[in-house]
Amino acid sequence: MSNPPLTVGIAEDSLLLREGLGRILSDAGLSLVASYDNADDLLACVRGRSLDIAILDIRLPPSHTDEGIRAALHIRQHHPNVAVLVLSQYVEVGLALQLLADSAERVGYLLKDRISDVQDFTDAVRRVARGGSAIDPTIISALLQRRRHDDPLARLTPRERQVIALMATGTSNQGIANNLVITLRATEKYVSSIFDKLGIPSTRDESRRVLAVLLYLRS
Amino acid sequence: MANAVPAAEPPGSDLRTPHAWALWAIVVAGLGIIAGTLVLTLASDQLGTQGLRSLLVGWIVIPYVVGGILAWWRRPTSRLGPLMLATGFATALAPLQWVEQPTVYSIGHLFDMLPAALFLHVFLAFPTGTLTWLPERIVVIACYAAVTGLQVTKIILGVTPGSRIAVFTNVEAANRVEVIQLTLVAGLLLVGAGLLFWRRRASRSSQLRPTALLVDAFGLALVMLALLYVAGTQGWPAFETIRLVTFAALGLAPIAFLFALLDARLARGDVAGLLVELRAHPTEDLQPPLARALRDPSLTLAYWLPEQGSWADQNGQPMSAPHADDRRALRIISREDEPMAALLFDRSLTDEPELLDAVDAAAGIALENARLQAELRARLQELQGSRARVLEAGQRERQRLERNLHDGAQQRLVALSLELGLLGQSSNDPNTRTGLARAKAEVATSLAELRDVACGIYPAVLTNHGLAIALESLAGAAAVPVRLDVDLPARLPQAAEVAAYYVVSESLTNAGKHARASVVDVQVSRTDDTALVVIADDGVGGADPARGSGLRGLMDRVEALGGQLRISTSADGSRIEAEIPCQTRR
Repeated sequence: MSNPPLTVGIAEDSLLLREGLGRILSDAGLSLVASYDNADDLLACVRGRSLDIAILDIRLPPSHTDEGIRAALHIRQHHPNVAVLVLSQYVEVGLALQLLADSAERVGYLLKDRISDVQDFTDAVRRVARGGSAIDPTIISALLQRRRHDDPLARLTPRERQVIALMATGTSNQGIANNLVITLRATEKYVSSIFDKLGIPSTRDESRRVLAVLLYLRS
Repeated sequence: MANAVPAAEPPGSDLRTPHAWALWAIVVAGLGIIAGTLVLTLASDQLGTQGLRSLLVGWIVIPYVVGGILAWWRRPTSRLGPLMLATGFATALAPLQWVEQPTVYSIGHLFDMLPAALFLHVFLAFPTGTLTWLPERIVVIACYAAVTGLQVTKIILGVTPGSRIAVFTNVEAANRVEVIQLTLVAGLLLVGAGLLFWRRRASRSSQLRPTALLVDAFGLALVMLALLYVAGTQGWPAFETIRLVTFAALGLAPIAFLFALLDARLARGDVAGLLVELRAHPTEDLQPPLARALRDPSLTLAYWLPEQGSWADQNGQPMSAPHADDRRALRIISREDEPMAALLFDRSLTDEPELLDAVDAAAGIALENARLQAELRARLQELQGSRARVLEAGQRERQRLERNLHDGAQQRLVALSLELGLLGQSSNDPNTRTGLARAKAEVATSLAELRDVACGIYPAVLTNHGLAIALESLAGAAAVPVRLDVDLPARLPQAAEVAAYYVVSESLTNAGKHARASVVDVQVSRTDDTALVVIADDGVGGADPARGSGLRGLMDRVEALGGQLRISTSADGSRIEAEIPCQTRR
């Protein structure tokens, strides 16, 4: 590949995880520029260097409450070219919506456990760094589980439900095809059928459809 | 804490009441003086002017003597009576100067100016008869010095050559001393009037009492007297007119005082009204009827709580120990040597002890009841406070546990899972890889279970990110679609946030389980001191606190914070409303 390696900065206060993350990303051919145990240092790094993606834990010192999410929102607002991937022990629908605000571009929000699926995780990092999104499946499945009165979701076939779940996490059509072991064309057919049934305006942009599906599921 | 009980006012029986014969002697003396004045006037050469003067002297002497006798009789605690009598008799000495006999004439002249200082003294000492304020004392003492010292000086110098104590005949020097004396006395009288008005303004509450009328009469008299002396030194032609007005004002002052006495008697009529009122409408708040009966809107009532060893208002809210100051007087109402209640009222009421006694007697049983109520409320508040503290302590402990889990077990399991993942990547043996993948799946399950446990122990999202985000997550995870409307400009206090969270959480669970609702509306808003949480669904109803422990627990939680949980349910759905106080307590 002729592309220069993606540059990554990390803020994670657990030493074990910080080092593990660094190792995984380096092994995957990404360039680890800096890793810190707090948000402020990472913010300084974002301001001073050109990072492709910042990976942050939500609970960071000093108060271990919302330092990570505040730093992430700051980067989203003031450094739109830097992608943000937020990691946490819990995922919260409320925080996901706050993080996405009005765009699912260059943003990810995953459970920390996902790191251990090394391949999927590094794929997600790359996808987010290149402008895509990565939303934890837990959030989507919680939203999908909801029973509704007169529910359009009930009209989806089981296959379509699998597709919408993957689509909402930010997975590309190719990714969905690989995951479900179906062809790309079949995937595309499922996607447009889902949009039809739910009455969501169809879009080919993968980030935009993440937001559209999330907002639909949430409403 | 029991030392918070201030000493009660001294009981009235210890005070000297004048003997009846003393009062009668004074009456006789007063009549004698008036008769003497008349005789002196009739014997005088210049009958026209002197006749008028004697009338004026009588006009002053009679009300001061009568007022003095009444005051001494009705208010033996106050030195005002004797002081008024002294003023009346000193004024009566003035006509002695009209006698041709040199000794009598000299005595009359010696005491010519004394009434000026006595008027000032009486007015400033009203109603207690004592001067408590330092500026008042200074002015009165200076005035006495001017009307005695300078008087003697000017007579010695020969201002009235016929006087027995005239040593020189330096009329020019004597006149100069007289001008100085009159100017000084006039100045001191004006300062006195100023002090009166300043005091009246400072105690705004006394304006509401009829005694304020007195202060105005006194002030007017002092200003007129000062004007009279200035007119004397300047030789103004209007001198005689000013003299008339001054004497009229000076004579009015004791009449105003008599009105004040009468007012106290009228007020006692209100006490009978108080009795009737308390019997007809037993009320918990005694302050307004007492304030009406005593005609003092500033009246405050405090109840003694012996168990707490502190004072409280009628709601049982603790208040600082009531104490008297220069505007307010204190009366402790006791039963069987134990203080029961304290009345804090305008100082001018101390002049009407019978009125206070009557109110004390009339309100006795009602006060006792009100005190018991206050005590009960105080205990209730204490109980509620401890309930809230227990809840808060539990919450803190849960928060600590959640944090320990997060930083300990969860963190380690994530690290373990990562380690397993890395091992799986580097291994080429398919058996190993399968085994590692299975182990990783086990760890993932453990993590998921641990997450649920930790979240059940304490919703960290609430403390870390606030109610709006936490409710969004609840709504997202709810089994029923939720329309969320959170209108909070700022974070709520933590206890209120936690309560609101659990109210919504439990209500959503209920709606999902029992109500078969198609949509739930959740609204959170806030006024200054209350957060309002409303959860309404369109299900089949059935929210009943008697049935499950969930809603009962919510009620406990909200009530522990001093709030209210209302549940209404019908065929069209259930509605749960929680009002949660947001002020930080204790």
